[in-house]
Amino acid sequence: MRGRILTAAWTLAVVLALAALLTAPTAGQAPARAAGTAKGSALPRMPDGHPDLQGVYDIAWLTPLERPANTPLVLSDDEATKLEGTANERRVRGDAPIRGDRAAPPVGGDGSTGAAGGVGGYNTFWIDPGTRYVRIEGHKRSSLIIDPPDGRIPALTPSAQARTAKVQRPTSDEGERTDPGLETAPGAYDNPERRPLGERCLMGFGSTSGPPALPVLYNNLHQIVQTPQQILIFNEMVHDARIVRMNSEHLPKEVRRWMGDSIGRWEGDTLVVDTTNFTDKTRFRGSTENLHVVERFTRIDANTLLYRFTVEDPETWVRPWTAEYPWPATKTAVYEYACHEANYALENILRGARQRDAEQAKRNKQ
Amino acid sequence: MGTKRVVAVAGLSVVLMAGPRLMAHHAFGGEFDPNKPVLLKGKVTKVEWVNPHAWIHLAHVKPDGTTEEWMVEGGTPNTLFRRGFTKDSLKPGMEIVVDGYQARDHTLLRANGRNVTFPDGRKLFLGSSGTGAPLDGADPIEKKK
Repeated sequence: MRGRILTAAWTLAVVLALAALLTAPTAGQAPARAAGTAKGSALPRMPDGHPDLQGVYDIAWLTPLERPANTPLVLSDDEATKLEGTANERRVRGDAPIRGDRAAPPVGGDGSTGAAGGVGGYNTFWIDPGTRYVRIEGHKRSSLIIDPPDGRIPALTPSAQARTAKVQRPTSDEGERTDPGLETAPGAYDNPERRPLGERCLMGFGSTSGPPALPVLYNNLHQIVQTPQQILIFNEMVHDARIVRMNSEHLPKEVRRWMGDSIGRWEGDTLVVDTTNFTDKTRFRGSTENLHVVERFTRIDANTLLYRFTVEDPETWVRPWTAEYPWPATKTAVYEYACHEANYALENILRGARQRDAEQAKRNKQ
Repeated sequence: MGTKRVVAVAGLSVVLMAGPRLMAHHAFGGEFDPNKPVLLKGKVTKVEWVNPHAWIHLAHVKPDGTTEEWMVEGGTPNTLFRRGFTKDSLKPGMEIVVDGYQARDHTLLRANGRNVTFPDGRKLFLGSSGTGAPLDGADPIEKKK
């Protein structure tokens, strides 16, 4: 059955690839650099003359952060449409009825990978990963990363490799490998304080709040509230709120925050937010507390911001890297996400670890 | 535009079609036991519409006719609420079928809601006509009014 699915997937991929080659004269061409300043004078502005960035934005995008090797940044419209269609078909398939008289899933796990950990998650109707690929200046994008030009996160430095090897579970799944929740460091499951911030409902997972902010599987709403002195970037997931101090200096290095210390300034019509002073708790893709993030918010039309970020950490990556994607405004409301109110999952995970401890102790005695 | 290009684009299609990786607020593998699959059938007794995960309670009817109170983990209610599904979409007394895996601590009657359906196999929040869910055409078997 699995073989049949894989064969079908490959056949479909080849058909799509051929269709793309026949119909994609623009694929492979570098896109024009996205605008650095807002166009036109009719864009909404604050009383102080700066662009009004306020609103609620839904950043659910299908475009992945990284691109497959040796592939262009720009997707042809035809290929993007097909990929979006495939994602939609997957959703429809996930929502379709199944046998009511079905049996229990197989012993030993259902083969699902990543955070689903062989037991699967739950029905697709709970999630909202978006329906479209990023489009910037008319071009559909195959990755959020625009620099390095290959669309891949730069190589880890030797010290970062040594650091991550110590705490991470050996696995071929990148999401799993970089998830602090799956670490194997001694004592990682000993108490709630050792669990990752996401699992403890203290911050969203997958860098949804950032910085840098990334699209995740659901609750992708972000709200911006703006004053001349401070700008709030509020995230639905775990109601993380970042407060950017305008025209200020960074806090002393001794003052560390999970989402870092953010200061902002205007460069023309672009809001530039500079963040340092991280802790070692968030570990963005294996980074250290010396992570440095520069985000640029530019209003490109009445309903859209362009979000671009550059991250650097000489102790983690061999060079800085940059990604960008639009923040489209939505009329949808941001709902309360009182994450901690019934976090049975954390209890179950710790209880599960005690169960594994007992089983190991029993094996040691034998 | 040689062979290399064809291979590259084919590879791109496969990877991009793989879709969003299931990453969630926690690792499911640490919470549930892959060696303890369960199939639960019974009436909903209570629903906890809470974050980070909704929990559906049901009275699972065992082969000997007795019942056990189980809890089943779902996702965030926010996504459902945004689509118009509310507390009225799933009420105590409704019959459901759940397949999933039991919590690693086997003293807990808790499982993940890998699939949660009505007895005829319709997905809970998509085939829920007549339960208060909005008649918005999203349900393929929705009765036209």
